[in-house]
Amino acid sequence: MRIALRELRRRPGRFATATVVLTLLVVLLLFLGGLLDGLFLGSTGALRAQQADVVVYASEARTSVLRSRIEPATTDEVAAVDGVDEVGGLGVALLGATVPDRADVADVAVFGYQVPPAGVPEPPAPGQAWADRSLQDEGVAVGQTLVVGPAGVPIEVVGWVDDTSYLLQGALWTTPDTWREVQNANRPDAAVGPGVFQVLVASGSLPPDELAARIDAATDGATETLTKDEAVLSLPGTREQNATFTSIIGTTFAIAGVVVALFFALLTLERVPVYGLLKAIGTPTRSLLAGLLVQAVVVSAVAFAIGFALVAALAAGIPSGVPVRFEASRAVTTLVGILATAVIGGALSLRRVVKVDPASAIGSGS
Amino acid sequence: MRGPEVGAGGPSPHTPEVFLALREMRRAKLRFALLTGAVGLLAFLVLFLQTLTGALIEQFIGALEHQSGQVVVFGEQARRNLEGSVVPADTVDAVAAVDGVAVAGPLGEGTFTVEADGELTDAVLFGYELGGPGAPTTLVEGRLPEAEGEAVAPSDADGEGFGIGDVVTVAPGGYQITVVGQADDIRFSVTPALFTSFDTYAAARRSVNPDAEAVPPSVVVADPVEGTTPEELARRIDDQVPGVDAVTRAVAVDSAPGVGPVQQSFSIIVFLCLFVVVVVAGLFFLILTVQKAGSLTLLRAIGTPTGDLVRSLLVQVVAVVVGGLVVGTLLLYGSLAGSGGGIGATVDPGLVLTNAVLILVLAVLASLAAVRRVLRIDPIRATVPGGATA
Repeated sequence: MRIALRELRRRPGRFATATVVLTLLVVLLLFLGGLLDGLFLGSTGALRAQQADVVVYASEARTSVLRSRIEPATTDEVAAVDGVDEVGGLGVALLGATVPDRADVADVAVFGYQVPPAGVPEPPAPGQAWADRSLQDEGVAVGQTLVVGPAGVPIEVVGWVDDTSYLLQGALWTTPDTWREVQNANRPDAAVGPGVFQVLVASGSLPPDELAARIDAATDGATETLTKDEAVLSLPGTREQNATFTSIIGTTFAIAGVVVALFFALLTLERVPVYGLLKAIGTPTRSLLAGLLVQAVVVSAVAFAIGFALVAALAAGIPSGVPVRFEASRAVTTLVGILATAVIGGALSLRRVVKVDPASAIGSGS
Repeated sequence: MRGPEVGAGGPSPHTPEVFLALREMRRAKLRFALLTGAVGLLAFLVLFLQTLTGALIEQFIGALEHQSGQVVVFGEQARRNLEGSVVPADTVDAVAAVDGVAVAGPLGEGTFTVEADGELTDAVLFGYELGGPGAPTTLVEGRLPEAEGEAVAPSDADGEGFGIGDVVTVAPGGYQITVVGQADDIRFSVTPALFTSFDTYAAARRSVNPDAEAVPPSVVVADPVEGTTPEELARRIDDQVPGVDAVTRAVAVDSAPGVGPVQQSFSIIVFLCLFVVVVVAGLFFLILTVQKAGSLTLLRAIGTPTGDLVRSLLVQVVAVVVGGLVVGTLLLYGSLAGSGGGIGATVDPGLVLTNAVLILVLAVLASLAAVRRVLRIDPIRATVPGGATA
């Protein structure tokens, strides 16, 4: 084991190849992970922030928030369900907003809400909104009045909230009436009547699955109720996105494993005479194997550190249109993944090490 | 040492360098298999990502790309997002009045829940003025709609209840639309698009939402008169009609939400993968050459021409890369079999071929470091004790 570490210190050049390739793969993994997180978190913030167990859609909306319409009578039915403690309506309009002193229009998601999501205060006064902090990048500031949609409904920003964007558009959290005003003025074709919401969020004392089933039974199939987690995954494209990126990330890990296996196979081959010698003087095979795996782990840990530093340095240069987000949890899973991959890849050379015959040390040394 | 066998003719039909190269690969199966595997996985990623990007974009904006209007006039605030665009109804006349417009018409776009083949599913309605711009350009079966309640559906949605003669019911409201034709590549946001008359679109809107106060067009589509380019016309409309953002169809497609970022992110990933291919292949052959330096020096000393050794190296590079490309292509077929990656993506032989040539060229270039190393071998060192391996 000590020899293995000393070799790493004395002959770093020997491991440069594997380190360079692994570093590139780490950059790729972190970037892919960042993209997945950016797309996922940026799309789902508003739903993830809901402090509710279930989300209630009109059954004909096929779990699309934008197409769903819940009439006040349905809201009353849901509120009356045994086990439901709290019900709140939610509506959203996806529009462009003109920001003062800015030429570009900002994409906003105007929400009308009754039950405050996590981190969002009680609904502000009519015509006012809590804005998602992502809108700061679009030049929005507290105290400004945004002009929303082609109809130009004014909304004053009175404070910031975090991580509540919806389908990559910054949220503006307003009263239900302000949302209806925005919706009806800008989308006469999708206008909503008084008291109508798009979806309901509800919580209660029962397990979410059971709560959902009871609500759908009580409304006689007029609603389709999902648990909050299911609702998050039902956002358009989210499930497909996760599956695609997960398979790409998986393939990249497989490549990292093959690369580690390849380079340690080459390295082991070079060392066969040395291993023979070490075995001849009594070094147990076990410690040779341990040394090999330690080297694989150290090489990948170093590659991770360099790759991480590179991504941190490059992050500033990524065009603002690319929705990447670097999360600590992603870095940790990538590190664990790459170390595990290194161990598996390195283990492929174990057979070769075990097979080395100490007697070969007495011969020509080749 | 296998030196004496080399070039001895023997029973092998191969030339000496091919013989040497393949013989070595057989002897070191694990190493070459791993390299082939690595190249194969990387080639797969490169191919998979590009296939997916192409298919995704086609699935997202196909209907917009394959409608006949050459200029698309968005609401100023829509940021060229069809789903986010609304223009007042009188914009159609304002656009039609612009000098150089041959014809202009409304286009309404909206996603609906419909009942097709007995099941609730999603469909996007594209409502255009019959006979005007906005009709699907890729009709392959049947005919264009001629009356209210008729539609052209995507040809790849046949099995989903959108075949010719099928009746699609808008839910809620129960408004019925009959499929009378099929066109290629007309999905929007991955959802099948139904091209109908604007009145049909408006009726569907009202059917779904009795609260609807009016149904304005999403955008205005226009064609230029002969002698005016779409670019010129878009500029003129922009100048003369207030509150709109007019662009050519191609620009509208490229600025659809997500298209730019998706293309950018995926090109970064593809570039990184290609770079990794170069580094892995280049360094592998360099290490291998360094490890074989002793044998190569001996071969040179007994008269094997440098050219043979270089060619032997290149044979291995080509063999590994071709093997990797086969693995990558098979993986691609495997992953797209059945659902087509969930979005109906299919293998494009042209894309595979272009990438194969690119990867092969890059790998050969990357192996130049190893070639240089071979060229530098000095046969005289074989006569110095320990010199051959130095």
